[in-house]
Order: sequence, then C-alpha cells, then structure tokens
Amino acid sequence: MPYYLKKRITDIIINIVMLMFLGLTLLPIGWMVFSSLKSSTDIAIGRVGLSQTLDGRPKIQWENYVDMWKNVNFGLYLKNSLIICGATMVIAMLLSTLASYSLSRFKFPGSDLFSNTILATQMIPAIMYLIPLYIMFVKFTVMTGIQVKGTYWGLILIYSAFFTPFSIWILRGFFASIPKELEESARIDGCSALQVFWHIALPLAIPGIIATGIFIFLTAWDELMFAWVLTNGDTMTIPVGIRLFVGNYQNRFDLMMAAATVATLPLVVLFFFLQKYIVAGLTAGAVKG
Amino acid sequence: MAKVVLENVFKYFDDVVAVKSVNLEIKDKEFVVLVGPSGCGKTTTLRMIAGLEEVSEGKIYIGDRLINDVPPKDRNIAMVFQSYALYPHMKVYDNMAFGLKLRGLPKKEVDERVKEAAESLELTKLLDRLPKQLSGGQRQRVALGRAIVRNPQVFLMDEPLSNLDAKLRVQMRAELQRLHKRLETTIIYVTHDQVEAMTLGQRVAVILNGELQQVDNPVSIYEKPANRFVAGFLGSPQMNFIKGVIRKKAGKYSFEAEAFTFVVPPEVDGLLAANVDKEVIFGMRPEDLWDVPSSTWLEEQHRFNIKVKVDFREMMGSDINVYVKAGKDQMIGRIGTFADPKPGAELDLVMDLRKIHFFDPETQKAII
Repeated sequence: MPYYLKKRITDIIINIVMLMFLGLTLLPIGWMVFSSLKSSTDIAIGRVGLSQTLDGRPKIQWENYVDMWKNVNFGLYLKNSLIICGATMVIAMLLSTLASYSLSRFKFPGSDLFSNTILATQMIPAIMYLIPLYIMFVKFTVMTGIQVKGTYWGLILIYSAFFTPFSIWILRGFFASIPKELEESARIDGCSALQVFWHIALPLAIPGIIATGIFIFLTAWDELMFAWVLTNGDTMTIPVGIRLFVGNYQNRFDLMMAAATVATLPLVVLFFFLQKYIVAGLTAGAVKG
Repeated sequence: MAKVVLENVFKYFDDVVAVKSVNLEIKDKEFVVLVGPSGCGKTTTLRMIAGLEEVSEGKIYIGDRLINDVPPKDRNIAMVFQSYALYPHMKVYDNMAFGLKLRGLPKKEVDERVKEAAESLELTKLLDRLPKQLSGGQRQRVALGRAIVRNPQVFLMDEPLSNLDAKLRVQMRAELQRLHKRLETTIIYVTHDQVEAMTLGQRVAVILNGELQQVDNPVSIYEKPANRFVAGFLGSPQMNFIKGVIRKKAGKYSFEAEAFTFVVPPEVDGLLAANVDKEVIFGMRPEDLWDVPSSTWLEEQHRFNIKVKVDFREMMGSDINVYVKAGKDQMIGRIGTFADPKPGAELDLVMDLRKIHFFDPETQKAII
C-alpha cells in the first residue's frame, strides 16, 4: 500500500475514534440541554422525544427557564457562586504564583521537602476534611463569637486552602519552563530579584496563570460537598441550589436541567474566549514541568 | 572601560572543581577571548565575572573595585548570551530600553540612546517588532544593541555567534571587531570555536579542565603553543602528533620515529639537550606538511622529504587534506589541489623543519 494511502486511512481511523470520544463527552451535556426543554411529566415517564401539545404537535418547554428562577432563588445562587469562586481564584492565584516562582527558582532549606509535601497533601481525599472542618467552624464561633459557617469568607478560605497547593504544583512547571538566561540577562540589566519576577517571569507565565486560574474557577464552581455543608440559605452556591429542585414531595428534573444548563453557560463562555491560553498553558506545563 | 583582574579564582560545584586557580589580567579596552572545549570552565569563569555565579575562592576586580560580593546589576557590565535571551514579551525597542529605564534615566535620553544604537546596528526599522518576528542574525544584533545602549565598563559575550549560520558568523565576526574599535570597551568573549578565538582576540586565553593553559596573542599561541593540548586545540585539522626519541650524533640532534628520522635544524635545537635518548612527542601542523611542487621555495636545510602512503583525502575546495601513513603513524597534510593523491598510492611530502614542535610525553609541556 502506498505511503500516502496508508496515512490517509490512519487519519480517517483516528478521526472516527476522536469523533466517538467527542460524542461520549457531549452526550450528557446534550441530554441535559434536551431534558431542560421537556415537561416534568415527560421526563418522569421517560418519553424519548420532545413533549407534545394536546393536539399532538411537538412543544419546546421554554417555560422551564422562566419557572426555574421563580421556583428557587437562582439569581442569588449565581451571585454567591460568582463571589465565592472569583475571590477563591484571586486569592489562590496570588499565593500560588509567588510560592511556585520561589520554589522553581530558589533553593532554600526545606524547599524540596515543601514541594513534596504539597504534592502529598493532594493524596488525602477531601471528604476526610469535611467533619473536622465543620467542627472547627462551629467551635471557632462558639469560642470567639465570630460567625464562619454560612459566610462567604468561610467557604472562600476553605476553597483557597484547597486549591493553592494544586496551583503551586501546576505553576511551578510554567515558571521552570522560562529560560534561566532571560532572568540572568534581566539581573545584569539592573533588576533586583523582585523586579525580575515582576518584569520578566510574571508576564511570560501569563498563559499558565490564566489556565490555572480558570481551572480553579471551574473546580470551585462545581464543588458541592463543602458548599452544601458550610453555607446557609443566604450564601448557597449554584450546585447546592440546583439540589433544591429535588425535594421530598416532588422532583423537578425539568427545572433542574434548565438550571444546570444556565450554570454551565458561564464556563462555556469563559472557555471559549480563553481556550487558547488553556491549551497552550496545559501543554507547556506538561512538557517542561 | 576598565580592566578586569582575576586573582587565583576557584569555582567548586559540590565536589567538582570547575575553575582552578585562574590568574588573568584583562587590560582596559582589550578584547580577550576565553577558548576551550565544552565544559572546560570558560563559561563559568565568565559567569563569575558577570556575578551570575558565586566565586568559591579568589578575587575578581573590575577597575579597582573588588566585586566578589557586588550583585550583577551594580557591576556595570553587559552580557550577550548564546541564546540571545531577548525578552520575548517586549518589542525590540523595549528590549533595548529595559536596562536604561530600570536605571531611571530620563525618557528622552533613553530614546536617544536606543535610537543611536539601533542606527549603528541597522535595527531602526525593526524597533516595533517582537523578537519572535526577527531572524537569527537580527536577534543577535538586538542582543548586541541591548548591551551597547547600556554603555557598560565591560562587555561579556558567551558564544554569541554559535547559533548563527556559517556565513552570518563570518559577517558578525567582522562586525564585532568594528564594534570593539568604535566603542573602545573591554570585551571578554567566550567561545569554543578556535577560528573566532584567532580572529577576534587581541589576546587569547586557552582553558582546559578549569585551568588556564596559555594566555598570549593569537599568533604566538598558534606558533608557540605552551603544551600539547593548546597545540592540538588550535588549528584545523589538528596538529599531527608522533611518538619518537631524540638522539645526539656528532653534535647534531635528530628525531627518530618508527618510520622516519630527521636531523633537527640547529636554530631550533637549543632546548633538546636535556631530552637526549628520551621519548618525546613530535608535533607538526598539517599546513607545514607540503607536497613537493608547492615547497620549492623552502631552503634545503629546512626540508625533510618523507615517503608516505595515502589513506584517504578530503577535498576542501581551496586545497586537499590528505590523510597519510608513515609506518604506523597517521598524519594529515594539506596539499595543493593540482596533486591527485589516490588512496593506497605512495606520495612524497615535504616537512618544513622550521615549524616543528616537541612535547614532553609526561608533562605534555612544549620542549620546542
């Protein structure tokens, strides 16, 4: 078989496999969007197609998107999620950028131990922290009178603590991939260590920082377990809010799907505009990390 | 515009001694080339002068100032890196202006200096480009420009030409020499390329295994290498080395190799007295091994005819490098293109006996 034909066939096979993966990935999202446009009864009886009007014409249940805002306080949850995830992202990025730069560039007593410890913390399942944290939050309030559970900053604190080590680990690779000569050249040009970071390392690590930041935002956005336990009615985030559609007496899967679709939108938009950084960032970190 | 003095400088990396007891005085406005094979410590030496590596032992002065503990930014030096190290996120203009801005120069002066340097390096049209939009040669010029605008006391260059293609390299060599003349600044230049060392340096410092082997002007280093390493390192193809013994007969010294013996001309034999009947290494550069027709100008007492067998040859265009065997000893000669040495054939060659070298096989030091 000629070479070009062989290559063409391999290309086709690879494309088919990729398309299958793409289909598998998109299936739940498609299912979610599709279900959000059906009536609650049709979801309950498991109808495959769209809902129908009484005279048998297909009907798209746009009302779900209106009802969902009335049924639960979805606007509040959206606001809460934006505040909590945004603040988490900013705090975690501030801390991890500085920490990962120092770890990648400077040798100091305990620097190796420190970075290995960071990695080791990632081996402990998050759920193990849940009960101790809950007790800590409650006891802290009992002892000091300062409310932690149910506040924005309580959850922001927990999220930042969770995501900072992970971001340090990813960002370290980005900083390590910046050629040392650039920084040496800057030092000779007249930079102090901090100026080297500010003028050279930071601008060059921007793709990585953006990618990591988005990753943190997405993970925080989806987080349910801690948000459920540590927030209250006023500070509830979207994943917790969406759960309210499943109640003791009725399950409004239609509204739940509509809410989930709305909750996914900001992420899709974010990803759409910044995918260049995410892809470039993740591969750069992977190769040189 | 300052001299640079290295006093007994050592550099250790854990257990490895990278630089061993280097003593070197580089005069004001001098162009000195540090040359040696990869890993010999030349770049480490340069980085210690730059302040990018700590000095383990010894002292380094720029001008009269001891700079061991002075951070790089306060040494008033500029460095050109092999990879150019242009800041990828800054335009050419900002790359060049960066050092001046950091030093808080007024905007107008920064602008003047950058434009002037850009003018002299023909970069004016490229000032708005990013480094990735430049060719290798242009990047190289920007790196030079960035160093020039700073108007430093000392220029440090770490193999600045090795990423360029051969033709550009030749151009840039000439450019660098012009630059040195114009700027009248001390330049310390590191390279592993002996051609760069020979052509650029007012003085050349040859380094091996972290030790300074010889410091002298290029001609002296080429013609009077201090030891076998320096002799072999400079020159391409490298010097032929053949083992043999020095004999003394009837007041005349001769060298006996396995396949040939020649009488050493009296004007160069002065230092052989101590080596009579001792083993030595004879050295001869390929260009001093002539074909017969090209060597007719050579006086009789300096000629030594030798019959060799051709192994193979390399056509260089301007001449032929011919690999030959005299007995078991391999030699390389450089002969005219009119000769047509066939592999396996016999060939008559002529040695220029004024250009012979002898080395002590134990210390490797030059005897003649």
